[in-house]
Amino acid sequence: MQAIKRKKQQEKIIEGFFLVCAFVAVVSVLAITAFVFYNGLKPFISNSYPLWNFLSGVEWRPGSNMYGIFYMIVGSVFATLGAILIGVPIAILTAVFISEMAGSRVGKIIRFAVELLAGIPSVLYGVFGLGIIVPYVLKISPMAQGESLLSTILVLAIMILPTVVSISETSISVVPKAYREGSYALGASKIQTIFKVVLPAARSGIMTGVILGIGRAIGETMAVMLVCGNPIAGIPTSLFDQVRPLTTNIALEMGYASGVHQELLYSTGVVLFIFIMLINLIVNKLVKAKVGS
Amino acid sequence: MSRSIKDLFVKGIIYLATGITLSVLLFIIGFIFVQGIGLVNWDFLTRDFNEKVGYAFTEAKDVPLSIDEEKLNDINSLDNRYETALEGPIYVENIGAAISKVAYKNHSTEREQIVVTYLEKDSPLQSAIDSTGAEIKIGPDYMLQSINGKDFTDLSLEEVAKTIATESGELKIKIVQPGGGIKSNIITTLYMVLLSLLVALPVGIFGAIYLTEYAKPGKLVNIIRFAAESLAGIPSIIFGLFGMAFFVVALNFQISLISGSLTVAVILLPVIIRSTEEALKTVPMAFREGSLALGATKLQTIFKVVLPCAVPGIATAVLLSIGRVVGESAALLLTAGTVAQIPGTLFSPGSTLTVQAYYVAKEEGNIELACAVGIVIIVIVIVLNILSRITSDKLDVFNKK
Repeated sequence: MQAIKRKKQQEKIIEGFFLVCAFVAVVSVLAITAFVFYNGLKPFISNSYPLWNFLSGVEWRPGSNMYGIFYMIVGSVFATLGAILIGVPIAILTAVFISEMAGSRVGKIIRFAVELLAGIPSVLYGVFGLGIIVPYVLKISPMAQGESLLSTILVLAIMILPTVVSISETSISVVPKAYREGSYALGASKIQTIFKVVLPAARSGIMTGVILGIGRAIGETMAVMLVCGNPIAGIPTSLFDQVRPLTTNIALEMGYASGVHQELLYSTGVVLFIFIMLINLIVNKLVKAKVGS
Repeated sequence: MSRSIKDLFVKGIIYLATGITLSVLLFIIGFIFVQGIGLVNWDFLTRDFNEKVGYAFTEAKDVPLSIDEEKLNDINSLDNRYETALEGPIYVENIGAAISKVAYKNHSTEREQIVVTYLEKDSPLQSAIDSTGAEIKIGPDYMLQSINGKDFTDLSLEEVAKTIATESGELKIKIVQPGGGIKSNIITTLYMVLLSLLVALPVGIFGAIYLTEYAKPGKLVNIIRFAAESLAGIPSIIFGLFGMAFFVVALNFQISLISGSLTVAVILLPVIIRSTEEALKTVPMAFREGSLALGATKLQTIFKVVLPCAVPGIATAVLLSIGRVVGESAALLLTAGTVAQIPGTLFSPGSTLTVQAYYVAKEEGNIELACAVGIVIIVIVIVLNILSRITSDKLDVFNKK
């Protein structure tokens, strides 16, 4: 009896240990949020820098105590929108090809290629952008440099491909066969079936993929840092203007910043974090809606 | 008729899109290989990134100054490394080595240097020691800058050879160990992978065990799942900020190997939890029931029955994680630094391959070198991809049985 009781106790203790391990994820999220927000909100709470100037300013000159990130927010949003505009159609059509048109062997090869594309580290996309895209953009650009909004958009469009392709493909392939058969029975062609029946049925899954793609684009740092130009001021007004997305602002200056300057880099992180949380929330809603239907 | 033309047109666009996706991949990989392959060789993989200046102590061979024509021919046929040598080579008998003067290029600077191009087997340079008494293996490409206090700067190669040849007995030679390699980055990457897995793997696996084997559906599980999902959606630069604030500053670990690997461990957590969970879920319920029916406790069932069945899935998780660490850069830039050195302790900084690739591309504008590092990274990524395919196939095979 005693032995069994002891064993039961032991099992309970170990179960508790497992629970603690599972909880590390929760603690991490809380700690990340707490640390970033604590450091990022400090300058506004202690009044060492006015929040409004931070959010609306269009110049970032640490030397003369000017820290405005509005032009970076605009840069981030433009770059992300552009990347979505170019990348998403290509990605969805690729997903359609893999799941609806390719034979199993060809499909496998393309799927492998997409996985490989997902596995290439972001730095290398940046190196590629710097080596190929930037010089080409320079050729058609009226500006003196090729690092620009356009280069950033192109690099990001490539980088979101694997995310959007793989999630769209999964959601297309779970559309019931009966839908397609019903459509064919009504005399629709394959292409009509794909665009009028299959894609609408897979809509919410594809949307999830697109929003995750947005998340990837807005949070991307290293690749963008190499091709965006990182100007210290100015809202981008043309595709050839340089941009400085929120992420690169942090990565560029964190190494040597101190005092208010460093805290305001954390604040930049807070703004980015809020964007990402919004995106996560939308994804969650979408996934739940899908489960509900 | 018009419908089939329209269909054909749309089909063409679909093919085009797929073609773009494929060619982008091929183009990127092709670009990196074409640009970088010229720099990838054994030296590139085994050398430090930075040059190292130091003194070598050895004893000169007791021979008169002579230049051996026959040996010189041998050297010339042996060594096309310095086709572009400005002067030389000249064979100097008392150090048993041939030296040349070359325009030495390191990263972005170029300067004239006296370089060892050929070494005899019994060359005194082969048995040199440094000031601490440790052996230095002076090899080809090492630069010589002075001997017994006599500086080589502005001397012609012949004058240098004469200067060396007239020295006898104890020699104190100022040498520069050649740089330009990525040995330290490879080792740092390895350390980073090992350390972060050491932390994240047990936590992730045990967490996944809790979620699949113990937890009853409810608020708690939802919270944990939500947290893991949110963690997966946070961009790596935010992890970097957190690592900087928590590990680097609050815990005072400095910018170091330990700060970097702990930060990456947090990034890996959702990856490991998710793949382990999936692997555990594929283990048939009947296995657990059978084990429990035999009188095994729940814990015994988990460790003796469920986990062994989930090994291929966990292996996939490990491979995915290694890929994540190798590819990680933004978070490590902020927490582990950009110093290309082998971290001596857990608390010294070091840059991984990806951070190094970024550094040379951004700070030195050296695309070729960045691509050369990129080749090493891509080879690792492809190998991991293939391995994870094999392990996940194993899992499927097990299920089909």
